[in-house]
Amino acid sequence: MHRDEIPPGTLYLLILKTLARSGELHGYEIAESIQRISNEVLQVEEGSLYPALQRMLIKGWVTGTWGTTAGNRRARYYQLTAAGRKQLAVELSQFERVIGAVARVIEAV
Amino acid sequence: MNWLRELGRRLNMLLHRRQFDADLEEEMRLHLELRGEQQVESGVAANDASAAARRRFGNPTVLREKSRSAWGWEWLEDFFQDLNYGLRGMARSAGITVMALLSLALGIGANTAIFTLVDAVLLKSLPVNEPSQLVLFGNGLDEGISDGFPNRWLYSYPFYREMQKRNDVFSDVAAAFSMIDKVHGFVQGRSEAEPMNVQLVSGTYFPMLGVQPVIGRAITEVDDRTQGGHPAAMVSYAWWTHNLARDPSVLDKKLTLGSTSYSIVGVAPAEFFGTKVGESPDIWIPLSMQKEVPPGFDGYNDNLFESLHLMARLKPGVSNAQATAEANVLYQQILRGFSGVPLNKKTLRELDETHVELTSMATGFSRLRYMFSEPLKILMAVVGLVLLIACANIANLLLARSATRARELAVRQALGAGRSRLIRQLLTESLMLALAGGALGIAFASVASRLLLRMVSDGRMPLHLNVALDTRVLLFTVMVTLATALLFGTIPAFRSTRVQVTDSLKEGRGQTAGSSRGPLAKALVVLQVALSLVLLVGAGLFVSALMNLSNMDTGFNKENVIRLRVDPSSAGYKEDTRMENLYHQIEQRVSALPGVRAASFSIFTFNEGTWNNSVWVQGYPEGRRDVAVHHNAVGDGYFAAMGIPVLAGRTFGPQDSATSPKVGVIGETMARTLFPVGSPIGRHYGRGGPDHAGDIEVIGVVKDVKYNSLDEEQQPGDYLPYSQNVRYLNDFEVRYSGDSAAMVAAIRQAIHDVDFTLPVSDVTTLNEQVARSITNQRLVAQLSSFFGVLAVFLSCIGIYGLMSYVVSRRTNEIGVRMALGAEPADVLWLVMRESLWLAAVGTAIGVPVALASQGLVVSMLFGLRPYDPLTLVGAVVVLLGMAALAGYLPSRRASQIDPMISLRYQ
Repeated sequence: MHRDEIPPGTLYLLILKTLARSGELHGYEIAESIQRISNEVLQVEEGSLYPALQRMLIKGWVTGTWGTTAGNRRARYYQLTAAGRKQLAVELSQFERVIGAVARVIEAV
Repeated sequence: MNWLRELGRRLNMLLHRRQFDADLEEEMRLHLELRGEQQVESGVAANDASAAARRRFGNPTVLREKSRSAWGWEWLEDFFQDLNYGLRGMARSAGITVMALLSLALGIGANTAIFTLVDAVLLKSLPVNEPSQLVLFGNGLDEGISDGFPNRWLYSYPFYREMQKRNDVFSDVAAAFSMIDKVHGFVQGRSEAEPMNVQLVSGTYFPMLGVQPVIGRAITEVDDRTQGGHPAAMVSYAWWTHNLARDPSVLDKKLTLGSTSYSIVGVAPAEFFGTKVGESPDIWIPLSMQKEVPPGFDGYNDNLFESLHLMARLKPGVSNAQATAEANVLYQQILRGFSGVPLNKKTLRELDETHVELTSMATGFSRLRYMFSEPLKILMAVVGLVLLIACANIANLLLARSATRARELAVRQALGAGRSRLIRQLLTESLMLALAGGALGIAFASVASRLLLRMVSDGRMPLHLNVALDTRVLLFTVMVTLATALLFGTIPAFRSTRVQVTDSLKEGRGQTAGSSRGPLAKALVVLQVALSLVLLVGAGLFVSALMNLSNMDTGFNKENVIRLRVDPSSAGYKEDTRMENLYHQIEQRVSALPGVRAASFSIFTFNEGTWNNSVWVQGYPEGRRDVAVHHNAVGDGYFAAMGIPVLAGRTFGPQDSATSPKVGVIGETMARTLFPVGSPIGRHYGRGGPDHAGDIEVIGVVKDVKYNSLDEEQQPGDYLPYSQNVRYLNDFEVRYSGDSAAMVAAIRQAIHDVDFTLPVSDVTTLNEQVARSITNQRLVAQLSSFFGVLAVFLSCIGIYGLMSYVVSRRTNEIGVRMALGAEPADVLWLVMRESLWLAAVGTAIGVPVALASQGLVVSMLFGLRPYDPLTLVGAVVVLLGMAALAGYLPSRRASQIDPMISLRYQ
C-alpha cells in the first residue's frame, strides 16, 4: 500500500488536531491515530513526533503527564492547553488559506 | 510574558536534564515496543518485528539529539565540554600554559593599573548630582591670590556675590578658595596640634553640588552671611575615620584653628573628595570665616582680592555658549562697576580684551591633569604595546601547539565534528587562558596601582586619588581580556582547523607540514621585534631626558640642606614684629648648633610656586617696565644656606632692618635685563607702579637659580630681606654637615626651645625637593624602561620559541645535512641566520616607526635633539644582541644533533 509523506509544516497541526479530538494520548497513540484516521495514507516518520512534541512542550501548547497504559505500562500522556487550542485555530486557518489558494490555482482554467 | 514562561520551562529542563533524558528514553522505548508488538500481531516474525519498528521510527540517536536541541541548551553543554577539554589540554602542556599566563597577567595587570590612574586623574565624573551641568570659570590651573587686574581665572568674593545675584543662566553659583589652607589645629580635648587641610567654601558650595552629608548638615548659605560670624566646620569622611575613629558623636566635637573654635556640623560622604582632583580637604569652613582661619586671608569684602575658583550649575536647557555669553557681559559690568578698581587706560584695554571661558567641570578640575595627562597617555600606549607583544607570543605558542595537535583535530573532523565546532573549542581554550590571565592581572594590578600612586605622589603635593578597583576598572579589564583572547586566539583557531584531513592523517606523528605555519609565525615575531624596538627607543629617550634634567645646574647647591616648615600662624602669630623676632631667634639658635653652616627662613626654595609681579626701574622712561620678576623674602643667611654664589656687592645683614632704607639682591638675568649699562649696585627699582621706582636699592648680584622647574628658561628674580617685608615664611632651610637624622632632631629641639607651641612639619631635604619636581619624567622613564625591557624579553621568548620549534621540525633534515658532511658550525649558522634575519626585518620596520612616534612625545624629551641618534643606535644594538642570544640557544642544540639519532627520530 502506498503511503505519502505528510506535507511539510503540517505535523504540528496534525498533532494538535489529534489531541483536540481525543483528549489525552501518548506518543504511540498519536502516531496510530493520525495513520488510522487518514486511512493509512499519511505516513509520519514516527520518531519525528518526539522532537515536535518537545517543541510544543516548550511553546506551552501541550503538557505531558506520566500515567499508565491499558497494558499497565508507564507512558507520557500529552494534553492540549488553552494556548494549544489557540494555536490549533491559527494553524487551521493558515492551512485552509494555503489549501484554498492551491485549489484555486489548480482549478483555474 | 509568554517568552518569560517559555524561558522558565527551558530553565527547568536545564536543571532536570537527567530526568529529561530518562523520560525521553522511556517514551521512545515504549513506542518501539508497542510498534513491535503490533507488528507481531499483524503476522510479522518476531525477529523482524523490532527491525521493522525501528525502520518506521527513524534513527533514535538523531531524534534524541533533535529533541534535546529543541530546548536550546546545546551551546552551554558544548561550552562545558570545551572547558573540560581545554583544562585537560592546558594541564598537559603546563610549561606553555604558565608562560602564557605570566605574560598575560603582566600585560593585563599593567594595563589595568595604568588605566586605574588614568581613570582617577582624567576620566571619572565628580560624585555629585548631575555633574555634567557644572561649569568652572576659567581653567582652574591658577592658584593663589592675584593682584593683577583684571583676572579671568581667580575671582574676588564680592564678584562671586554679584555674579550669583545678577545672572539668570545658572541655577546657582558657588566659590571655593583656590588654595587649601594647611593649618595646624586642635581637636577639642587634645593638646597636640594636628595638621589639617582646610578648604574655604561659599555657603552655596554643597547645595549647588548636591552633596548630602552622611551625618549632620552641610555648610549652607546661613553659614556665609556675616563676616566672622559662623564658626561651622564640615569634615571629610576620611578625616572622620582617621582622626575620630568614626565617632558617632562627632557633632558634639569642636575644632580650634588659630584662636577660633569651630563646631563640627556635618560629615561629607565617603566618595566626595571636593572638586579638585588629587586634593582632598579634611575640613570645609565657610568663606565668611576666612580671616579667622590661619593664615588669615582678608578678602570677604575686598573687590580686588582675586583668590577664588568660581563654579556654577547651568540651568536646564541653557547651553554652555549661552551661559558664556551672559557670564562675559556680567563680568564686564561687575568689574567696571566695582569701587576701588584701577580703571586706567591700560586696565580698560585689558578688560576689553578679556574673555572668560566656562569649562565643563563634570570630571572636576585639576592642575594634576595638566601635569599628568601626557605621561599617563604615554604609559597607557606603552602598556598597550606590551600587551600586544604578549599576545603575539601566546598566539605563537598556540600555533605551535595546534601544529602538534593537527592529528587530533584531523581525527575529530574525520569523526564528524564541524569546523565551527572546532574553532569554538579552540576559542574557548583561548578565552580560558585569557580569563585566568585577567584574574591574575587584576591581582597584580591591585598591588601595582598602589605602587604607581606612591610613585606619582612623590611630587610637590601628596595626591589623594581613589585607586581602588571599581566596576569601571574591572569592566575595562574584562574588555581588555576579551580583546586579547580574540587577538591571540583567532588566528591559531582558524589556521589550525583548516586541515586537509587525509593529509594530516597520512603523515606521521613527527612530521607535519611545519612550513604552513612558517610565514605567519615569522610575521608575529617580526611584529614583536618591531614593537619592542619602538618601546626600547622610547625608554632610552625618556631616560636620557631624565638624566639631562637631573644634571641641570639649579644655581644653588642642593646637597646637605634640610628644609622644613614652621607654622607660626597656627600658633597665633600675626604678620608683625613679634613674628619677625621669632624668625630671627630661631635662625640664631639653629645657626649656633654644631654642624650647622647656615640657616634661614624664606618664602620659597624650589618648585613651591612663585610670587611675581612687574617692577619699575628708576631712570627708565615712563612705560618701560613690564618685566615680571620672581620675588622671594629671605633671611640674612639664605644665600649661604642655599649655596648661591654672590657675584657682586653684598647680601643682607643686621644693618638691613624695618627702619633702614629698603634693599634688594638681584639675580644675573635681572641685572642684565633691567640694568644693561653699568653696575646695578646702588641703582633703584620698585614694584607697585612708576611712583615706586625708587623704593629698593640694589646691594648685590647673585647667580641665577631655577625657580619652579629644572627645564624652565632663566628668569629675572630678586630677593628682599624679610625684616623689611614681614610675612609668613613657609620654608626654613639649614645647611649642615654630618648625620641628617640627628640634625633634624636638633633643629626641632632648637625651634621648640624658642616656642614649644610651634608646629614643625614637611621635613625634607633640598635634594628631595629637586627630585620631586621631576616626578613625572622619572615616572615615565622608570616605567617605560621596565616595560621596554619586558618587551625585549617577551620578544626573545618569541624568537626562542619559534626557533626551537623550527629546529625540532627540521631535526631530520639537519641530520641528513650532517650525515652528508655539514659541520656543526654550518648548522649553527643555518639556524642563527634565520633568527638574525627575523630580528633584522623587525628592526628595519621598527626604526622608522620609532622615529615617527618621537614626535608624539617631544615635550617630554628635555634637552634632546629630535631623532637622538645615540639612543636609536643603542636600542638597535641591545635588541639585536638579545635576539642573537635567543636564537643562539636553539641553534646550538641544532648543531649538536647526532645524525644517527635524528634519522631514527621518525
